[in-house]
Amino acid sequence: MEIGPIFRAMWRNRIGVALIALQIAFTMTVVVNAIYIINERSRLMARPSGLDEANLFYLRSVGFQEGFDEESTIVEDRILLQATPGIIDMTVMNAIPLSGSGSSTGVRVNPDANGPSTYTALYRVDEHAIDTMGLELIAGENFTTAEVRQLGRLDSGSTAPIIITEALAEALFTGGAAEALGNTLYWQVDIPMQIIGVVKQLQAPWPTFASIENSMLIPNNILDGQSLYLVRTEPGQVNTMMLRVEELLADSNPARIIMNVKSLEETRADSYRIDSSMARILLVVIVILVFITSMGVVGLAVFGINRRRRQIGTRRALGATQGQIIRYFLVENLIISGIGVTLGAVLTLGFNIFLVQTFNMPRIEWYYTPLGMLALVLVGLLAVLGPSRGAARIPPAIATRTV
Amino acid sequence: MLKMKDVGKVYRTELVETRALTSFSLDVDEGEFVTVTGPSGCGKTTFLNIAGLLETYSSGTYLLDGQDVSELGDRQRARLRNRKIGFIFQSFNLMPDLNLFDNVDVPLRYRGMRASERRQRVDQMLDSVGLLSRKKHLPSQLSGGQQQRVAIARALVGEPRFLLADEPTGNLDSHTAAGVMELLEQVNESGTTIIMVTHDDSLAQRARRNVKILDGRIQSIDQLADSRIPATPVSDRALSANA
Repeated sequence: MEIGPIFRAMWRNRIGVALIALQIAFTMTVVVNAIYIINERSRLMARPSGLDEANLFYLRSVGFQEGFDEESTIVEDRILLQATPGIIDMTVMNAIPLSGSGSSTGVRVNPDANGPSTYTALYRVDEHAIDTMGLELIAGENFTTAEVRQLGRLDSGSTAPIIITEALAEALFTGGAAEALGNTLYWQVDIPMQIIGVVKQLQAPWPTFASIENSMLIPNNILDGQSLYLVRTEPGQVNTMMLRVEELLADSNPARIIMNVKSLEETRADSYRIDSSMARILLVVIVILVFITSMGVVGLAVFGINRRRRQIGTRRALGATQGQIIRYFLVENLIISGIGVTLGAVLTLGFNIFLVQTFNMPRIEWYYTPLGMLALVLVGLLAVLGPSRGAARIPPAIATRTV
Repeated sequence: MLKMKDVGKVYRTELVETRALTSFSLDVDEGEFVTVTGPSGCGKTTFLNIAGLLETYSSGTYLLDGQDVSELGDRQRARLRNRKIGFIFQSFNLMPDLNLFDNVDVPLRYRGMRASERRQRVDQMLDSVGLLSRKKHLPSQLSGGQQQRVAIARALVGEPRFLLADEPTGNLDSHTAAGVMELLEQVNESGTTIIMVTHDDSLAQRARRNVKILDGRIQSIDQLADSRIPATPVSDRALSANA
């Protein structure tokens, strides 16, 4: 290998080399951190909510005429929808997971504790919630019809049954779901809640909520004239049923209007729109940066080759094979890339520390830096391969030309 | 050693066809010193390129050490150039970014020789041309004559049997040219076959044979063995040339 002479020759043209190495370092810093951010966002976006999202939609039934009876309308609507082919079930609830709108509260195991043990999303639902959402009940039982209170808020002093997620159970009890079942939680100051069931997963309404996996179901619908229905359809019928149900409900009771009909999949897309947009923008930035850096490498290589055409011809005359000429430029590029990615590794970590401290972002995984180094080196080698092959085709006879 | 028979070289472009060599036949024996002269554009360099395997030929036969070079692939030709042929160029063709040691080291690296052996050979060769003490210098820090001595060291470091020199004194003053010529004569005396292209008739007369080329054909081959100047120390020759 000609590393020594190549390095010494490059040292004599170090400004151009340093600029490209800096470009590689800068590109690596941005690319590695951007890929990490994209992966983090993708991981967040790919988290399951625990719901049968593909077959769920929701709507709001809003009474507007005097004498509109919300409670009886819910009963009539349920009968109507359950009789509609393609509908599996429906539930009335206060908030839709991932929708960005809902309630949360602090809960504690010990009523005398100062402050809550943890925070959780709070879903006010009826006994159809588990089946409608498609939740997996891993311990205990569902609410009974008798347990569901339609008329108002929970009364102080009474014990309410609740169903919680496994994540919330694990956050509150060392024994997890098994220990949680039958235990009592306290909400606000004086409302004891007995855990009668544990579901595998149900995410909170806010994708950025720190305790997104902590959710609590309370059998308590508040009647405020605006009922939120979540409807589960047979597989593949969600789009058809959204239109049909909207029509059916609107026709069945002219004292209310049906609005905000939306599928869970649309809701997920809307909730993560900023994340997915950011991921796309970062991807474009990565592609542009890598392209510009590749062009820089190609430009330096082509410039170097054109400047050294006679030298290359002379090397060929002195016995260099085409492969040795290609190798010369690959090694030259490897040295530049090596300097660039080494500097880039330091900058990557420094930039990540800045992101962690400034924007509270997660620390980059250790393997991102070596993978980024490897990727940038490979990009450099690929970029210089074409010009190197061109250099190898320079005829040795050029060594004897005087012009 | 070198046998060319009816070698022809035609350069073709879309519009023009140029015959650089026509029916070129020449035998060069082992240990000979042959000079090639002729006006500009007569085909001297083309002959040298073909002889040195830098270019292919269009017709005829060329045997180098009995081997038909037309059958060789690019890799084999490069290997032959590296092991059997040394080149000296008019413009020296040193790598400006490499120091003298690295410049002379170039052909040995392509031979895949061990570092210790290369170091020994390069030092020895730089010593023989009187530039060992300047081995860390760049070519730009040397005079023209010194650069050509480095180029000669590079050409000889691989111990080639066949040295091709293209106007080796063309860019040198007469004093320095005489020194370089003497160096080549010493190399030839040690058994290396030399073919030298030159414009300088006085230098051409110092070879054993002088091949005159005109319009891509051999015009004459003069036997000059008796006219060679007996070897004398380089410094004396240089002084006399300068006088």
